[in-house]
Amino acid sequence: MNDRPPDDRSAALAAAAQAWREQRYEPEAARHPQRKPFVTDTGIPLRPLYTPLDVAERGGGYLDDIGFPGQYPYTRGDRAGMFRTDPFVISAYSGIGEASSCNRRFRTLLDWGAEQILVAMDLPSQCGYDSDHEMSTGEIGQVGVAVDTLADMEAMFDGIALQDLRRVGSLGNSLGPIVLALFAAIGQRRGLAWSDYTVNLQNDPLKEYIARGTQILPAPAAARLAADCVAWCAEHAPHWSPMTVCVNHINAGGAGSSRATAIAFANALHYLDLLLAQGHSVDATAPLLHMFADERHDFFVQIANLRAMRRIWARLMKERYGARRPEAMALRTTVYGHGQEALAEPLNNIARIAFGTLGYVLGGASYVYIASYDEAVSTPSEESAKVALRTQQIIAHEHGFTDIIDPLGGSYFVEYLTNEVERQVLQALSEIEQAGGALAVIDSGLGRRWMTEGAVRRQRAVDSGERPWVTVNKWPQAPNVPNTAFRPDADAASRQLARLARVKAERDPQRVAAALAAVDAACGSGANMVPPALEAVLSHATLGEICDRWRAHFGVFQPSTDF
Amino acid sequence: MPATERRIRVLIAKIGLDGHDVGARVIARGLRDAGMEVIYTGLRRTPEQVVRAALEEDVDLIGVSILSGAHRVLLPKLRRLLDQAGAADIGLIAGGVIPQEDIPTLEAAGVSRVFLSGASVRQIVEHVRQTFGGRQ
Repeated sequence: MNDRPPDDRSAALAAAAQAWREQRYEPEAARHPQRKPFVTDTGIPLRPLYTPLDVAERGGGYLDDIGFPGQYPYTRGDRAGMFRTDPFVISAYSGIGEASSCNRRFRTLLDWGAEQILVAMDLPSQCGYDSDHEMSTGEIGQVGVAVDTLADMEAMFDGIALQDLRRVGSLGNSLGPIVLALFAAIGQRRGLAWSDYTVNLQNDPLKEYIARGTQILPAPAAARLAADCVAWCAEHAPHWSPMTVCVNHINAGGAGSSRATAIAFANALHYLDLLLAQGHSVDATAPLLHMFADERHDFFVQIANLRAMRRIWARLMKERYGARRPEAMALRTTVYGHGQEALAEPLNNIARIAFGTLGYVLGGASYVYIASYDEAVSTPSEESAKVALRTQQIIAHEHGFTDIIDPLGGSYFVEYLTNEVERQVLQALSEIEQAGGALAVIDSGLGRRWMTEGAVRRQRAVDSGERPWVTVNKWPQAPNVPNTAFRPDADAASRQLARLARVKAERDPQRVAAALAAVDAACGSGANMVPPALEAVLSHATLGEICDRWRAHFGVFQPSTDF
Repeated sequence: MPATERRIRVLIAKIGLDGHDVGARVIARGLRDAGMEVIYTGLRRTPEQVVRAALEEDVDLIGVSILSGAHRVLLPKLRRLLDQAGAADIGLIAGGVIPQEDIPTLEAAGVSRVFLSGASVRQIVEHVRQTFGGRQ
């Protein structure tokens, strides 16, 4: 049975489309200078108009390629009701200075209606250095909150009921088992069961080596520690989401969303292969892996990318990995609403970010974070954080954006673009797999090459005006950053150092030493790292002390000087 | 360019823990494409390591990329260490996410020019040529 609309088979349509193009469109286009090259950032040329003919180019049919939400191949949504029954989770990524100021910001965000908090840690914490380490100079509390011990985490969530949040978590890409242990420990010390609340981690170290740059260990060891978090949750907290494999930093770094999506899939498959090699099943572990999608240049590519990602993941899990549970095939996605934010006239970024966020929502993302209009230059001010949150709420509740499922499904353009993005991603994934997979993306320089080439291409497109950018290359304005950058106060760093010294003085040194020895032992034995990390954070061992054990055993990464 | 003229030598540096180096790499390529000798330090260098590399490589200037907010501490420290090492002639420029209000302080501390993100590669190449070209 052919389930395509009848007119896409008709020669009459082809003839009519050709006649329209040649007799109506092209003469009109010839009278106007071409405004810009019509091509997506990912390199898909854009035709002036799409019809059923374009959708039919790739073959396939409605039931095979598109189907129904919550059903294989999940193109239209990872669950049946989508936002009609369960609106996307309004999430806030936040953290600055020290735990006490962070706690105030979190409470404010929750008062405004945030449903999920993701803690932004400062760079020393993310890189596994305590605040009193030489490398932490000037960095304490700068891009996030300083976390040295469990005491900081408890102060940060003081008075906040974890069970009232839809999810809580942090990035902790290079610290996976430690961050997981910190969230498990908060609940444990409050007498909560792990089933009472939901923890989400980014915990995707592999992309750090090419994109984000907080890597600590050699990549294979980091991947193992990340996979340990998934294995532990599969057993102890199967409804947590301990890994969110990221497209975003790889795309933002220049790779383009299709190649970045392929790299992220390769990374996800690497973690999954580690878990399967340890004897875990795809049906028990794949449901715990989420993906962090990203596309910031082209609104319709955002929608197509999310739809294509779900379809690719479903087919990989079912056809390559033999998954049987729907949850293992239905990909849940997190997004961070961005446009191309500019430094000039930063209030314009509110519009850019709103459109960028809307694209993700129309594509069916489950967990939605959003940039603040001043984020290009500083940690968000309270006012800009509020505008960001309200923007999410407006998209969720006004304009009817979320009233029907996959509202752009069936658009000739969106279906065509979904097919094209899928083709690009699968081709890049095939190149990666021929090169040797996720670790080869790092070691061979393939990932950095894709990113640098793309970043240079993007810079040229902006410098030449090929990609219009209001206030940058169209109606250019000098960067005019208002001097209201939200910063930690001048004494925050010294207070953090004093707090760290106090925790170290008050803890039980024998318990700490025994816990760190267990971390050492797990490094060597290959046993799951989460239980010893949990005991270590409960003993108030510092992040840096635990990471030092890892560094001593696994070694440290070597930064590349290529460009 | 006459073969006798010395090519401008640039050290592109990442100091502190900030791991975003796409901008640094794009600028490094742009300067190299413009005929300069360019060395990139890679991520997570201390000011001391950058000074050592600058002296070993005998560069005309250091371009620091920094997006973490640590510029207020690390850039003045780098300038101070350069001067103490007898390398007051090595230029220091910076780029990244740096609030406007910090620029006068950084300039007073000896950072000769701060480029905000959004500056074109061409602007940076021209600035480096004009300021550091023709040195012997």
